[in-house]
Amino acid sequence: MSSMHLSQLHKWMLSSPPIEWAVNQLRELLIGALRQGPVPQHIAFVMDGNRRFARSHKIETVEGHNLGFEALARVLQNDPIFWIILEVCYKSGVKIVTVYAFSIENFKRSKYEVDALMAMAKIKLQQLSQHGELLQKYGASIRVLGQRDLVKPDVLEAVDRAVELTKNNGDCILNICFPYTSREEITSAIKSTVEDYSRPLSAQARPFSQTRITQKIRSRNLSTSPLRSTSPTPSTSDVDDSISSSTTLHTDSPNDGQEGPLYPDPETITSSTIEEHLLTAGNPPLDLLIRTSGVKRLSDFMLWQCHEDTEIVFLDTLWPDFDLWSFLPVLVEWQWKQKHIEEKGSANGIKKPKIKVR
Amino acid sequence: MSVASRERDIYRRDAKVDHNLLTPAERERLLEPYLPTPPTRSASKRGRKDGIPSIRIDQPKSSRLGVRKFLKTQLHVLLYVIVHAVFSVYIRFRQAYHAVKDRIFAILYYHHRTPELIQKDVKGLSRLPQHLSVILKLEDGGRGGAGLEALVDEVAEIAAWCACVGIPMLSVYEQSGILKGYLPATHRAIARKLSSYFGPQHPALSLRAPHVPSMESPSSPPTSDAPGASSKTLSILLLSSEDGRDSLVDLTKTLAEMSQRSKLSSKDISPDLIDAELSESVMGEPELLILFSPSVELSGYPPWQVRLTEIYHVQDNQGVGYQVFLRALYNFANAQMRYGR
Repeated sequence: MSSMHLSQLHKWMLSSPPIEWAVNQLRELLIGALRQGPVPQHIAFVMDGNRRFARSHKIETVEGHNLGFEALARVLQNDPIFWIILEVCYKSGVKIVTVYAFSIENFKRSKYEVDALMAMAKIKLQQLSQHGELLQKYGASIRVLGQRDLVKPDVLEAVDRAVELTKNNGDCILNICFPYTSREEITSAIKSTVEDYSRPLSAQARPFSQTRITQKIRSRNLSTSPLRSTSPTPSTSDVDDSISSSTTLHTDSPNDGQEGPLYPDPETITSSTIEEHLLTAGNPPLDLLIRTSGVKRLSDFMLWQCHEDTEIVFLDTLWPDFDLWSFLPVLVEWQWKQKHIEEKGSANGIKKPKIKVR
Repeated sequence: MSVASRERDIYRRDAKVDHNLLTPAERERLLEPYLPTPPTRSASKRGRKDGIPSIRIDQPKSSRLGVRKFLKTQLHVLLYVIVHAVFSVYIRFRQAYHAVKDRIFAILYYHHRTPELIQKDVKGLSRLPQHLSVILKLEDGGRGGAGLEALVDEVAEIAAWCACVGIPMLSVYEQSGILKGYLPATHRAIARKLSSYFGPQHPALSLRAPHVPSMESPSSPPTSDAPGASSKTLSILLLSSEDGRDSLVDLTKTLAEMSQRSKLSSKDISPDLIDAELSESVMGEPELLILFSPSVELSGYPPWQVRLTEIYHVQDNQGVGYQVFLRALYNFANAQMRYGR
């Protein structure tokens, strides 16, 4: 109870106009300052803790989710998506933000909650679409990663509209993982790789025909050989060579035809082949993954993307409480670590720093 | 009531009725004061507002703005340096604090190589992981085998603790996979460590690595006349980075080959199939993953299997320690650690 009062007082203090102004200035200044250092190119968030927040504040779960959406807006006091794009991407220079909005596993929750979440997503996306021009102004594009077939058609329509509207904005990307699990993502990547590799190579695709080339060679040999016959020994060998090569060419081509469909070699599959089929294909590697609410699990999120040298940070704050002031320390520590890696790298001369300095 | 909270109230009321209260234009006006200056290419759209210091330099008063911009950048650089200076002081203190705390933990909880003490430490825990995984790092400072020796010793220690606690399955991840080349020697070292903990009747031990053909080498206790006391088996699995992405790539290759020979349709590929294959050839999902590094970085740990694994690390911790192991188990069981025994 006392903590409630305290937070009330805190809120009152913070909302008095001069302090509000000062805090805003300070925030701008800090973000501007941190931009001077290395900035992660790709950050992922697991927005966890909405339900617990609701429970601890004795509000309904669905309302908690709504507040969770609003949490992003806490700093900006406005729409969440804008918060992410503006505060994180635009101001601090992060290129890509990926958020875990809804897991496939979440369908196991009560129907009431799932429906409410879906309705909320739909409304938020619709609202977003209304601000197309604004999004364009800041070059923010929205992508929705996940299993489309699990989403109801009306929500899907809203998704498609938002994605379609912003697809040409190239500066920064917000990936919303909605119904997503990483295992499904990896599975579908493997599946599409397998499909790619079991499509027969089409020899006709090239505009050159092998028979025509052999004919040309033969006809040229026929025409050149009498001319060259004036010069003694090498010419005969030349003709012999060309004849033999033409015969090999000739014998080869039907062989190719007989073998039936030709497939690409599966040995050429590498991890980057699979990576190109992931939903995050083309995004820079994940630099930072932040999970709120003190749960120390990945919960099927970005498994492939984060298991190498991504810095994973588990925070105890619940998502509705998460704001710039909990984000900045993480960013500063990340920058500090990058500097250390760089120093060590220059000392050892082996390990390369993971970031590009802007 | 401040401007911001009034606006937030309006926004919330709007959200309550599913954003039907405000028109998009009204909402945009609400947003206006919070928007940063848009990028230069769309500067023409809002050309009137040149009162605010902006990043545009194509203004007639460019010299003044240039100076302003320069000063602002200088201020930012200065602030950046200050922030990082303060932060490095802070982190030294934090590291020192954690080092002291870890020392105290290490003194309070020491195993004395006695299985009974370790068992007493974990007695109150409601649950134990059935499959524990650890990430170790090869310290290749000397390059002369000292790092390898330390690594083998760490594996042996952790194996002994697991045997004492009663965890049947331990997987050890080390990125380079150097241990896989020394399977017999590692096995010997672990067996020696176990007997130094347990005496003559130590639990059976099996050590293997994926893709290494039949390196299963169970060692029954030397005195096999008392099998009842220590019939438990500890199986240890050595992993390296090639069991991560590469195993998924290998699986894809196999599946592609099968599909080319039309032994398999791509519709058959499901998470269950992949999961079954991977848990057969590499391992199943560990329940608890302990990192002994100062921060969480998986450095190539098998991605498929960490899906729901509880990841534990001690902030700023450096090196393998019994207290980290114990704290991880307490954390896993959601138990409070009481200082002292």
